[in-house]
Amino acid sequence: MVMLRILARRLGRTIRSTRGPFLAITAVIAIGVLVYIAMNSAYNWLEGSQQSFYQDYDFADYYFHVVRAPQEVIRRIEAVPGVARASGRIQKDLPILKPDGSRATGRLTGYNLPMEGEVNRICLLSGRLFEKYPHGGGLEALVDPQYAAANGLAPGDKITVVAEGRQVFITVVGTATGPEFVYPMKDAAAWIPEPERFGIVMLPQNQLQQILGLSGQINQVLIKMTPGADEAEAAAEIGEILRPYGVLADYPRKQQLSHAVLQGEMDQLRATSRTLPAIFLGIAAAVQWVMLGRLVKSQRQQIGVMKALGYSNWQVLFYYTSYALAVALAGGILGIILGLFSASAIFRTYALYFNLPPAAGGLDYATAGYALLISLGVGMASGMAASRGVLAVRPAESMRPSPPLRIRKTLLENWRWAWGLLSAAWKMSLRSIGRQRMRFVMVVTGVIFAVSLLIVAFFMNDAIDYMLEEHFYKEQKYDFLVRFSSPLSAGELLYLSRLSGVQKAEPLLEIPAAVYFGGRKEEHLLVGLQPGTEMKEIADAAGEPAAIPEEGVLLNKRLADKLGIKIGDNIEVETRLGIGPARRAYLKVVGFTQKLVGAESYLSLSEANWLLGERDAASGAMLRVDPGQAEAVEKELNAMTGVHMVLSREKELNNFLQYLDTALYFTAVMAAFAVVLGFAIIYNAALVNFSERRRELALLRVMGYTVRETASVMWRETILQALLGVALGLPAGRLLTAAYLQAVESDLYSFPAVIYPDTYFLAAAGGIFFTAAAQLLAARGIKRLDLAEILRSQD
Amino acid sequence: MAEEETVLLELREVSRFYRMGEVTVEALKDVSLVLRAGELVVVLGPSGSGKSTLLNILGGMDLPTQGQVFWKGEELTRAGESRLTRYRREEVGFIFQFFNLIPDLTARENVELAAALVEDPLPVEEVLEEVGLKEQMDHFPSQLSGGEQQRVAIARALVKNPRLLLCDEPTGALDYQMGKTVLGLLARVNRERSTTVVIVTHNTAIGAMGKRMVRMRSGQIAEITENASPLPPERIEW
Repeated sequence: MVMLRILARRLGRTIRSTRGPFLAITAVIAIGVLVYIAMNSAYNWLEGSQQSFYQDYDFADYYFHVVRAPQEVIRRIEAVPGVARASGRIQKDLPILKPDGSRATGRLTGYNLPMEGEVNRICLLSGRLFEKYPHGGGLEALVDPQYAAANGLAPGDKITVVAEGRQVFITVVGTATGPEFVYPMKDAAAWIPEPERFGIVMLPQNQLQQILGLSGQINQVLIKMTPGADEAEAAAEIGEILRPYGVLADYPRKQQLSHAVLQGEMDQLRATSRTLPAIFLGIAAAVQWVMLGRLVKSQRQQIGVMKALGYSNWQVLFYYTSYALAVALAGGILGIILGLFSASAIFRTYALYFNLPPAAGGLDYATAGYALLISLGVGMASGMAASRGVLAVRPAESMRPSPPLRIRKTLLENWRWAWGLLSAAWKMSLRSIGRQRMRFVMVVTGVIFAVSLLIVAFFMNDAIDYMLEEHFYKEQKYDFLVRFSSPLSAGELLYLSRLSGVQKAEPLLEIPAAVYFGGRKEEHLLVGLQPGTEMKEIADAAGEPAAIPEEGVLLNKRLADKLGIKIGDNIEVETRLGIGPARRAYLKVVGFTQKLVGAESYLSLSEANWLLGERDAASGAMLRVDPGQAEAVEKELNAMTGVHMVLSREKELNNFLQYLDTALYFTAVMAAFAVVLGFAIIYNAALVNFSERRRELALLRVMGYTVRETASVMWRETILQALLGVALGLPAGRLLTAAYLQAVESDLYSFPAVIYPDTYFLAAAGGIFFTAAAQLLAARGIKRLDLAEILRSQD
Repeated sequence: MAEEETVLLELREVSRFYRMGEVTVEALKDVSLVLRAGELVVVLGPSGSGKSTLLNILGGMDLPTQGQVFWKGEELTRAGESRLTRYRREEVGFIFQFFNLIPDLTARENVELAAALVEDPLPVEEVLEEVGLKEQMDHFPSQLSGGEQQRVAIARALVKNPRLLLCDEPTGALDYQMGKTVLGLLARVNRERSTTVVIVTHNTAIGAMGKRMVRMRSGQIAEITENASPLPPERIEW
């Protein structure tokens, strides 16, 4: 006990005397633990919430969209082998007229009452459940909480919906969510939330059927499969049953938009939670290994004395390892505290975007426990690896001066002419590097990681800038995109082009379709445009402008890659417009198109009409308006009953810019982490270097070198490490970014691998900054060197 | 005044105290000393006598708590760090007990490191030849014996052509024969270059080679003895 107390006291003094590096390594470990806890907690919370929510509210395994089918078809479907349960419902997007004259889109969804046993049930969040036959008549609905908050809706408020050309008033009775509305998304292109302009409206099935004049009808079938069922086989059989009713789309749960976004987010979290902490903890271990190794070396004599007194190898080894454990414990505890706070912040951020039931949140103590164990494990491993030199120390030998360093000439010395040009001070630094190759490599590797992380952090800004430029400025040349409630003829569009303030109006025809190729099928969107359109700039796979072909289709590259389609192939498409029967035809792929957001393919308006068997149809129009007239035009468009939705490019852009705040926060945090990491590496390496070279540095001072000249000897080594690390870190950052993009790629969007020159410059500047800061801090000791004392003592 | 009469360094009632917690240690107390050009002075004393502190002050590595230090009439006591650095750079050469060579540099490069400090150094190879290391110029310290390392240290101190050479126990880490070789070198430097040499040692036998012998005790000069016939190092025995 006495021995332990003495050793503990000694450990405390050692920690105090090395508090600079102790704190630096602690910070790196703390960051690794923080990221581990924050991301894993968020992941576990999301996963747990997702699983229980999906289970408790019976999230459908398979979806079918039909034009119209009788409710009774559900009984036939439930008899299909593999089907546990089926529910039929109506779901339709209808315009909502807001008090300020603008429009939103409401996804009206019908629910059979009572809801027990139904698939895709909803969870009441506030207010009360709607009634099938409300007291006093009228219609009641629940809305999703984001739409309610964004539009200031409270129970008792009314919303005005346009259905079949009439205005319908619905009373909001509360808010609710469901497993399919965790991330309310209008379509694949609208992955940034727009709660002001899109919401889910949930109401009794009978009321919705009545509004739409579809009594006894359904247009969606939701399937729960039995465990172990052959989903594909069951889906094929159900498809056959529904064929007479015009199947518009069918897809499994993993393609349901809300689920896809949530799952994508979780996959991203998982990927990051594994790689980032590993980088930080790995580097902390390496830095600690160098530092402890130096400590053991410098305390050779003391180790010899301890052994001479009778301490065993293991006791001495444990003493030095306990330094590493102390660092790991301090870093672990700090990281846990910060991590649990960060996890809370992350939950709150996710709660803004994901409608998960509130009870599912909470702090993840198990993860915190694992984090501490990992941190201690890393500390133990690096400590023991660094301290194993203790085993080789023999008491008698340790009292003698340490054997002289064996210096070998470096490779550079083979170039005599170049070597001869160098000063003695430079030769000193280069040979020192040559002697400590492992350490040099370790420091350079650490700087490479730090600079790479800076690039990944800053790249986000570049990607967003690029997306803004490409999507909002280059691609979209219109001011408004109008969608009609039902297709119009091009002639009827003239009215739009004659509105005051409208410079030009062009028709477009959007056709949801299934694409078949190579025995596989994908749901997709075909967009018919006028060849030579002025409203959209289409890019080919190489990013060059592409013309709309008169015949054939410019296929989306992502889809092409997925189905293995090449230029020249013929693809079979089946239209799913919902008006008239589904039509099948072959289209020739004449080129590819690449889009950052959304996944459409383009064809000419005439080709799209041919697909539908029409001559002159348009589902919408793109308008360019006079500057300053946008508000007036939008107001007029919103007042038209035939108009389903008006999309303003400016409003979409503003919405996107608001979303950027989250991304900028991410950039700032990542950049801060990278700088701390880089600083800790250089600082510790510089300190170890300083400690090892105290005698030489003191000698230089005694000889008459100034403080600055003496510091430059240390600077040379640091600068070589840093410059090499930065130079290699820049391309490594590019690779890391590409790897990150691959990990987070989804069907809905892809971040472009765009890194502007500024980013490389910033990352390099960041690298030089933390190098300079760390070096300056470490070199402070030169002024305070006790010259006589050092030079008088023996090594 | 003859060369050897010129006063290079003067200490007037110099004291040096160190505070160690509650205790004040008087390392030097009222020491007055004059060093003249071309002298070879041996400072003797046991451990704790203050001889090392004296050397630190002579060499500009430390400043006294009280008293004054003059270098060729210029007071160094009030000098700032940069003046002291320049003093050590241009006027002083140091030789230590444990050699203190840079292990990453060869003998030649260790001397070049010092030569780079002054505008007009002596030729590096000549100095190394002078100390008898013509064949070992490109050896690293780990490849040299103790005596050879100390000779490199002497060459390094000499290449700057200093006025003052300060030696702190120069033979302390060497065997008898090597020690005598090194002492012979120091005596030759003093004789041929008129460099003022101060040797600090606890070995009283070495005192016989100095023109003056300063005995220190408890931080004070106990006595100063003039030696009209200094012994050549080959004849010194210990």
